[in-house]
Amino acid sequence: MFSVVRLLDVAEGDRDRVLALVRDAAEHVGAHRWVVAPTDPRSRNGGDILLHLGFVEGSQWHCVAQYFDDILKDPAISRVNGASYAGNPTHTGRSGTVYRVLLLRVLPGTDPDTVRRFESELLAMPKYVSTMTAWRLSRADEPIGDRAWTHVFEQEFTDADGLMGPYLMHPIHWAVVDRWFDPETTDVIIRDRVCHSFCAITEPVLS
Amino acid sequence: MTEPVVFVIDRVVTQPGKARTFVERYLAEYAPGARGRGMTLRDVLVSPPIWFDDAPNTVTITWTLPSALAWWQMTWQGRPDPALGEWWSQISELVSERSRSVAAPAHAVDGLGDV
Repeated sequence: MFSVVRLLDVAEGDRDRVLALVRDAAEHVGAHRWVVAPTDPRSRNGGDILLHLGFVEGSQWHCVAQYFDDILKDPAISRVNGASYAGNPTHTGRSGTVYRVLLLRVLPGTDPDTVRRFESELLAMPKYVSTMTAWRLSRADEPIGDRAWTHVFEQEFTDADGLMGPYLMHPIHWAVVDRWFDPETTDVIIRDRVCHSFCAITEPVLS
Repeated sequence: MTEPVVFVIDRVVTQPGKARTFVERYLAEYAPGARGRGMTLRDVLVSPPIWFDDAPNTVTITWTLPSALAWWQMTWQGRPDPALGEWWSQISELVSERSRSVAAPAHAVDGLGDV
């Protein structure tokens, strides 16, 4: 699968209009899965509208990428963070009601073995967090926005409480994985602000 | 029900003869900000308990926080402040190696994982 994520900062008075505009576009580009939704206000640096498109092949996206780029030049959109990437999700068979995406940049020059250990620890989280129903960790092919994002970590959760409670509060998060993001540790490899964005879904994005 | 206390442990192997200076600077320069972020200083242990002038010491500093949420609140306060990471860089000439770990009492482990 080939996926595209865009997090849009949109002027408050134009959000409904831009939401309708982007939804209409997403509906007509042949995406296998798509979601265009307002972000949850508890998102951090996550934009006001979340766009995800899933294609069977990357070529499908590249045929419509310019069309989307033009739409996202709407003057009400002040910032776009995102990435496109290849990869397949893992799912538990249970359905989620919340889709979350994390965009992050690993420091340039980080040892490849260290990056692999970091990725391995992120992928260990579902073993401990039962509210995560589907997930995918991808290396970003085409980052855009504030940073040259290197990774996209997507998840579906049972609900927002499953994200804000068990995911955040399990020790696998704060006592293990978070050290890669913590400038007070010697393991830190992500120093830039991340994009943490989530929204409600009625159809699966990953599963 | 009271939430389990979370421990933050800095373990620092100093450069030879630098342990006293390290502890003094840690307490004077780092500790006030850490307290402001909600951490309570529990111990500053020096091993072996001799201020060597020609050998390294291991300094183990233990902080506590009242809950996992308090840990997040502490780190969310500190993370946007570039001075915090820079402080660790500034004292690097006193430090041979260091680590920071997060822990909880053994009796609390099952409960912490059941969230």
